[in-house]
Amino acid sequence: MAPAETRGVPAMKSYGAILVGLLCIVGIEVFSTYRHMSTHQLLLALLICAFVEAGIAVMYFMHLKDERPSLLWSLILALAFVLFMMDHIWPDALRLANLRVIFW
Amino acid sequence: VNESEMTIRMGHEAWSEESPYRIPSRKLAIWLFILSDAVTFGSVLFAYGYVRVGTAAWVRPFDFSPTIVNGMVMTLILLSSSVTMLAAFERAKNKDKSRCILWLAVTMVLGLLFAALHIREWLRMIGDGWRLFQNPVGGPALFGATFFSVTGLHLMHVLAGVVAIAVVAVKYNRARMDTGHVEIVGLYWHFVDVVWMFVFPLVYLMNAK
Repeated sequence: MAPAETRGVPAMKSYGAILVGLLCIVGIEVFSTYRHMSTHQLLLALLICAFVEAGIAVMYFMHLKDERPSLLWSLILALAFVLFMMDHIWPDALRLANLRVIFW
Repeated sequence: VNESEMTIRMGHEAWSEESPYRIPSRKLAIWLFILSDAVTFGSVLFAYGYVRVGTAAWVRPFDFSPTIVNGMVMTLILLSSSVTMLAAFERAKNKDKSRCILWLAVTMVLGLLFAALHIREWLRMIGDGWRLFQNPVGGPALFGATFFSVTGLHLMHVLAGVVAIAVVAVKYNRARMDTGHVEIVGLYWHFVDVVWMFVFPLVYLMNAK
């Protein structure tokens, strides 16, 4: 077993690598912003990058990957359900939907 | 089975039940708090997103320098603070109290630096005439309302996080809190970081010139 002083070092190295990866995604986001895309394309690109970034942070920084799968699925499904209800089902969401510009 | 065991089984069964997710109750509580807070931010960002995309004459006031560059620096600081928080947790797991507190202090400094840059950005915009319901460059006044409310809500979370880390650091130093508390305050801090991953692209980059 490694001494206590050095036990956390490999973990910190992997966190450093994850940090670099996240910063690269931020770089892609900024690059995409100046690619003269339409508002909808840009929104889609930025949301995809943000969800990838958030997923990595939740799994590795918040250690959700090390928890029981039941915790992960309880949290993710509950959040997805509420956001879906809020965005698509509740009456105010239907009113807001009329403000939206159609993508396709 | 003796009488005391019978009492536990019959009268206080819930006390001896195992956690459904095999995590301490306080950790489950912070996850549930994070879940509810994610819904709060989700609703705010949904509302902003609809207004932003649905308004044809929406203004894009942010120059690459200084605003977007400032946002990138803030992102770097906040992401780095997540790593320093992880360093504090690793030290706490190894029972290295002094280094744990050192890393918690570094995390707080980075959080305060983030807040200072954020407030400086606000003051610059307020100096340019931006208000909650006032748009100095013409176009929808909603820009100020959405920008200040979304970023303000996040800034409040950052400042609350700094206070929470300070409380945990002091109590951990006095052995009144343990590694579990460091982990829990870390989970909150990482969540604040995750929220910024949506705020920066949606509120800053979507409004870049």
